[in-house]
Amino acid sequence: MTTTAVPATERTRAVPRTAAPRASRGRRTAVAWLFLAPFGVVFLVYTAIPTVAALALSLTDIRGADLRTPFAVDFTGIDNYLRLFQDDTFVRDILNTALFVVVGVPLTMGAGFALALVLNSGVSRLRGAFRTVFFAPVVTNVVAVALIWQYAFHVDGTVDKLLGAVGFAGPNWLDDPDLAMPVVILLGVWRNFGTAMVLFLAGLQAVPRDVYEAAALDGAGRWRQLRHITLPLLMPTTLMVSVLLTVFYLQVFDEPYLLTGGGPLGSTESVALYTYRQFGAGEFGMSSAASFVTLALVTVVSVVQFRLLRSRT
Amino acid sequence: MPHLSRRTALRLTAGMALGAALPLAGCGREDDAAATSGAKKVDTSPATGTVNVWAAQGDADVLGKVLTPFKAANPDLAVQTTLIPNAEYYTKLQAAVAAGKGPDLAQFFPESQAQFLDSSTLLPVPDDLVDPGRFFKSLWDAGVVNDVAYTVPWYAYTYALVYRSDLAKKAGVEAPTTWAGMEPFLKGLQSAGAAHALGADIGWDIFNGQDVAMYAWQAGGSLVTSDSKWNLDTPQMIDALDYNASFFTAGTADTGGPTFLDAQPYFVSGRTASMITGPWVIGQLDTAAKKSGWTASHVATAPLSAGASSSVSFSAGGTWGVLADSGNPDAAWKLVRHLAEPTTQVAQYKAYGSLPAVVSAWGDPVIKGQPLLDAFFTQLKNTRAFPQVGTWQQVATRLGKEMEAVAKGKQTAAKAAAAIQAYAESVGTGRK
Repeated sequence: MTTTAVPATERTRAVPRTAAPRASRGRRTAVAWLFLAPFGVVFLVYTAIPTVAALALSLTDIRGADLRTPFAVDFTGIDNYLRLFQDDTFVRDILNTALFVVVGVPLTMGAGFALALVLNSGVSRLRGAFRTVFFAPVVTNVVAVALIWQYAFHVDGTVDKLLGAVGFAGPNWLDDPDLAMPVVILLGVWRNFGTAMVLFLAGLQAVPRDVYEAAALDGAGRWRQLRHITLPLLMPTTLMVSVLLTVFYLQVFDEPYLLTGGGPLGSTESVALYTYRQFGAGEFGMSSAASFVTLALVTVVSVVQFRLLRSRT
Repeated sequence: MPHLSRRTALRLTAGMALGAALPLAGCGREDDAAATSGAKKVDTSPATGTVNVWAAQGDADVLGKVLTPFKAANPDLAVQTTLIPNAEYYTKLQAAVAAGKGPDLAQFFPESQAQFLDSSTLLPVPDDLVDPGRFFKSLWDAGVVNDVAYTVPWYAYTYALVYRSDLAKKAGVEAPTTWAGMEPFLKGLQSAGAAHALGADIGWDIFNGQDVAMYAWQAGGSLVTSDSKWNLDTPQMIDALDYNASFFTAGTADTGGPTFLDAQPYFVSGRTASMITGPWVIGQLDTAAKKSGWTASHVATAPLSAGASSSVSFSAGGTWGVLADSGNPDAAWKLVRHLAEPTTQVAQYKAYGSLPAVVSAWGDPVIKGQPLLDAFFTQLKNTRAFPQVGTWQQVATRLGKEMEAVAKGKQTAAKAAAAIQAYAESVGTGRK
């Protein structure tokens, strides 16, 4: 089909025919932008500009004393990043955070998944009540909870009293560099398994019943149904939960801050806590650099997770 | 623990605010213009106009009441006081100063005000406003940088030894005057029933760092050299770390507790029998014991014991400074002058229990009549100011962490001293 073959009348008529939708599409785009504008402005002012500014800060030697003259600081390139990785405590905090993620995420997902399974198939009468109870830690004020945990894991707190009742001498959990981190991770898991549970429960309820019926007819037992039907069909949910939890745990702050303050001997200090401390000390350049290291970690880990799990969804 | 959270929250919002604007302009440091002392004189005529005052909640809660006579004598003056929660105080002040919307007059804390002592933030104290010799010297010194004074002391405290007099009597021991005497004294208290004699600070934070710095002074050390370089890797610092650690290694203190909130209950119950702490506990122990009069019959105080050099302590409290942007510095200074009067300081003590920064005010019967405060008065006269260096808080915080490692036997004092020096050099002294 060539243009010369089209009659003149057709051609002249074709112009308004295409012009009209283009004009309305343009208007529609404008309207769309208008609706997006409130979000766009908020995003720009509260997310995009501060992020860029923080990146710029991380490349300067700005400190608390420069607040009056924030532009009168020197550009120092990647100096702050080099200083970070030369700081033993920062490297230690990265390892602490990694431990929190590597142990905490599987535990949280495991607990959430197990409870979701029980609620989905085992319990039917009080499902709503159980769901509420298990979700309660998510919505409980962590400050109050941490205070209670502090007393529970104190040298003669509830936990040690229980251990004493069965004949064990309880340690001072939060003052032992080897035991404090497990307690902090436990608090993280306790706080977050409810979220995982609710998401898994939603995923489980979306799995069609007839698939199980077909499998049962073919002689598949409960275990094989779980392995070959539930788990594969839940893969999108699993991916989402794992990414959400990992991103959240990589930025862990509340648990160590409230429970141990990062101690004993820095054994529970996370990267976020390090960043906060640097900020508090007026080391704005260093703390911005530390937050961009966190951002890089989050990005890399999320991309890897998507790659690993997407192929199976 | 009000001061702790204030410090850790420091400058958070201010940093955010300026961060957003940073990439818009070029960077590069400029040379600092040297501040000169001797601003113009403040006369004795009544103050006029408006003075905006910012202060932290706590001692300033009673400011309105304490200032009643001043307001009566200056009818044309409006004093507008804004109280800000302790935890956010420096944050908000920094943000306001950065935005050029600060008050005329602001309260500071002498132990942590170094970052404000700059002619771009504060006006120098006029030469003839108050006699510097009126105050405990270290509190005045806490506001002086390069021979220019920026703040005027308001209230004061320091640390002293607070112990169970009943247990000491039972054990037949008296408060020690030297470091060497500490262990027998504490062991004596333990023989009288205390599980661990010293309820030592185990926060391993800036407060521990301040303690160690104080011990380094007592051992004869200095924290900075005369030409403002960090001087922390010294034999005296090693002595200080070892001394503080010795409480834990000798079993007279426990790294496991009491924590901050438990300190007073432990002391009252006799699980611990001594604390190295500030004068406020005197007024709180009756409450902790749930029995009025308990403190008088169970508690004694003593100045700190001396190391190789002295028994010097550090001073802390509150100060006032007039901001460089103030539109009414004359009236603000007149208000400061009034707050620094002995009678005003006694009124402040009566209203809130803030101990005077003016030495002569301690002669007032309401203070003199309290024998438990004697040790604090003796100690206050023997205090020193922390280095007037913007990064001191950072270094002290790190020093507290190093102290933890030494106390728990994970690090030798010598290595900790070297580590704190290396850290201090890496953060510098905060002066451009």
